[in-house]
Amino acid sequence: MDTSQLRTILWLRWRLTRNQWRRSGQLNAVIMMLIAAAAFVIGAAGAIVGLLIGALLMKNTTPWALLGIWDAIVIAFLFFWMIGIISEIQRSETIDISKLLHLPVSLREIFFVNYIASHFTLCFIVFVPSMLGLALGLAISKSGLMLLMPFLVAGFIFMISAWTYCLRGWLVTLMANKRRRRAIIAGVTFTFILLSQLPNLLGNILHDHKRHGPGATQSAPSEQTETPNSGGQVVPRVIVEAHKYVPFLWVGNGARALAEGSVWPAILGSAGMFILGALGLSRAYRSTVRFYLGQTTRKRSTPRAKEAKVSRAQISFLEKQLPGIPDESAAMALAFFRSLMRAPEVKMMLGTNFMMLLFFGFMILMRRRAGISDDFRPFIATGAVVLTFFGLTRLMLNQFGHDREGFRALVLSPVLRKHILLGKNLALLPITVCLGAILLLLIKFVIGVTVAVTFAAFLQLIAAFLLLSMAGNLISTLVPYRVAPGSMKPTKIPAMTALLLFLSHMLFPVAMGPIFLPAIAGLLFAKAGLMSAGAVNLLFSIVMLATTAFFYRLSLPGLGNLLQRHEKRILEVVTREIE
Amino acid sequence: MNLAIETNGLTRCFGDLVAVDNLDLRVEAGKFYGFLGPNGAGKSTTIKMLTGLLGPTRGTMRILGEQIDRPEKAREVKRRIGVVPEEMALFDNLTAREYLIFIGRMYGLPLATVRERTDELLEMMTLADEHKKLTLEFSHGMNKKLTLAAALIPNPDLLFLDEPFEGVDAVSSSILRDTLKQCVQRGATVFLTSHVLEIVERLCTDVGIITKGKLVYQGTMDEIRQAGSLEERFLKAVGKDHVERQSLSWLEG
Ligand SMILES: Nc1ncnc2c1ncn2[C@@H]1O[C@H](COP(=O)(O)OP(=O)(O)OP(=O)(O)O)[C@@H](O)[C@H]1O
Ligand SMILES: [Mg+2]
Repeated sequence: MDTSQLRTILWLRWRLTRNQWRRSGQLNAVIMMLIAAAAFVIGAAGAIVGLLIGALLMKNTTPWALLGIWDAIVIAFLFFWMIGIISEIQRSETIDISKLLHLPVSLREIFFVNYIASHFTLCFIVFVPSMLGLALGLAISKSGLMLLMPFLVAGFIFMISAWTYCLRGWLVTLMANKRRRRAIIAGVTFTFILLSQLPNLLGNILHDHKRHGPGATQSAPSEQTETPNSGGQVVPRVIVEAHKYVPFLWVGNGARALAEGSVWPAILGSAGMFILGALGLSRAYRSTVRFYLGQTTRKRSTPRAKEAKVSRAQISFLEKQLPGIPDESAAMALAFFRSLMRAPEVKMMLGTNFMMLLFFGFMILMRRRAGISDDFRPFIATGAVVLTFFGLTRLMLNQFGHDREGFRALVLSPVLRKHILLGKNLALLPITVCLGAILLLLIKFVIGVTVAVTFAAFLQLIAAFLLLSMAGNLISTLVPYRVAPGSMKPTKIPAMTALLLFLSHMLFPVAMGPIFLPAIAGLLFAKAGLMSAGAVNLLFSIVMLATTAFFYRLSLPGLGNLLQRHEKRILEVVTREIE
Repeated sequence: MNLAIETNGLTRCFGDLVAVDNLDLRVEAGKFYGFLGPNGAGKSTTIKMLTGLLGPTRGTMRILGEQIDRPEKAREVKRRIGVVPEEMALFDNLTAREYLIFIGRMYGLPLATVRERTDELLEMMTLADEHKKLTLEFSHGMNKKLTLAAALIPNPDLLFLDEPFEGVDAVSSSILRDTLKQCVQRGATVFLTSHVLEIVERLCTDVGIITKGKLVYQGTMDEIRQAGSLEERFLKAVGKDHVERQSLSWLEG
């Protein structure tokens, strides 16, 4: 390996990072440094604490408890590692190989530099030293045999990082196609979110079935590790077997065996993990070579078949007119709606959001169904209205961040700016109504609220939509930020914007407050014996909707002017691409 | 004299850099104006200011006779201009046809007109067969052609084209040149930047040359032809005619 080339590559990496920090401003640079420093401090502290714990506290730990502890560490590591992957996927390679290919550098060098660099993640920096510290501590307190632990840990780390790298390489190949790339990012994030909810869900189900102790709502893994803890002998067979065949459990298994005085499981375990890691790395290397040197074996799939569906029907969608809406606003609403529904990041966001609502909302409701008093039911319906908007706020409060280059077309257009805002808002109305209506119908049938209250809640939904649209129009204009294509993550934003955004999101509950007025009024009137709660609720909802509609109309021209004044700045922000 | 573009002391700074420096442009209506200059001279910055994509640091502009500092006037003017900005203005998730329909409707054209022009433009730009692709899957040249089509859809009185031929294939480029000539014959004004001097020489009636943010030459193509070629004029204006051309030391000998 040519060292001067290697040095150049490392220098390039450093320069890129430095320029990126510099460009994002001093404050951000300082924050980044602090985070990095904190990570190293935590890592170092972890090593010492691990060492001390291992050396001083674990002298009498039973072998099975040791297995449990290592399993817990490994699983915690894997959890954070998964979170890391999600954000990693959206980031490009440390050094973009395709940008260097025309230079006389060898692919292998870049590959290894990138692979080594892939270890510098928060998760690795925090966990690896602690794991090694603990291993050493155990060697001190227990026996010299424990000196084999660092090998197990190293094998584990190597295996994970190699396969992570392989996975990322594979995704890169897949993502060479832009449209597919965004779908994959969306898909992976979505899967992960669902997976991360799984322990919770399992916990809840177990809880329902067994109703033992509050501990059950914690994650499933911790339960698993508790089993051997509770009594040395009653280890279920499944767990023993699992530790033989699941590679990442070999760490715990090796620790247990070493504590019991047998070395073979540890030696075999580390050897196994090293071999698996080597396999992963060589696979990654082969696919990198194949990808960059153009020897792709990917079958040209048949995208035609799928795309051919774009038919007359869809084309005429954008030519529709909306009654009572200015033509420009209608055109915009239709175009924005179409493009939102095609954006994987939006689909993903709505999907996850909706699943979460269903999971959690109804898990709680089902359990308490019997205990809900009639007085309280309207509040649940209104609560559902508020819940509908949780996932939507990011779209509503940042209307232009998703347009990116497209926003230029809006600035160039001769349309009245209030009509742009109207179009933007209308594009989100169908999404809101669908989500809200589904939730409200579910609530109606699950909890059994009356038709009047359901209808009132629906009116509140529209009123809330108008309120949030007003707030959204203001905030999108004043605090715009760019959203990277294919993710819901904002690209790097200045600390000031971040602060303002945080504050504006805090406003959300305030903006939502008035929505509860009709339900409260209903309750008060009913308690005073004046009128039935449902009727009052409905009446107040109608009045509230009318009022907000009035104010919405009133606000449009002013906000339009504001947009006109700020459009050049917004353009600058949403079109600036930051790696 | 009927001026389509008139600027007075137009200036734009980026930090310490003066990208456009006291520009006094005069472009007569009905002209085919070529705006030339080396890389980084300030051409795109000027176009961005003239089209309302970027605010000027100082100075005033009149487009089609209207002062465009006032928002209402600016919008009125925008209705009559078509723009191909340096960076595209496309929405990722729309098809070419959808995008053109959207733009057409934004200019307040009747739906039947929008439909008709969209189909014609797609045909002309040979994009009609690409109706299934989203613009994010377009090639660079295809995107450029789509942006051009969008600039033409309102049938504007004034066209701002920032390197319109860059990346466009020979067939489309030739069709496009004819279209632009037709526009000018009809009385429209075209304001174009390009690095390809042959194109400028063939198309333009008037030329302005900018370097380091300053307008260093303004004249008609006839005047230039009388004195020599556009290339000579260009090199002279940017001060590279007499200077000893630098060559790479290791290529000599
Ligand atoms: N957003 C910006 N921030 C900072 N500097 C900028 C910005 N935009 C342009 N500049 C600078 O202004 C100067 C003029 O840029 P401009 O894009 O107008 O050049 P140009 O004449 O269009 O060049 P080219 O022919 O290469 O397109 C350049 O020095 C450029 O670096
Ligand atoms: Mg330019």
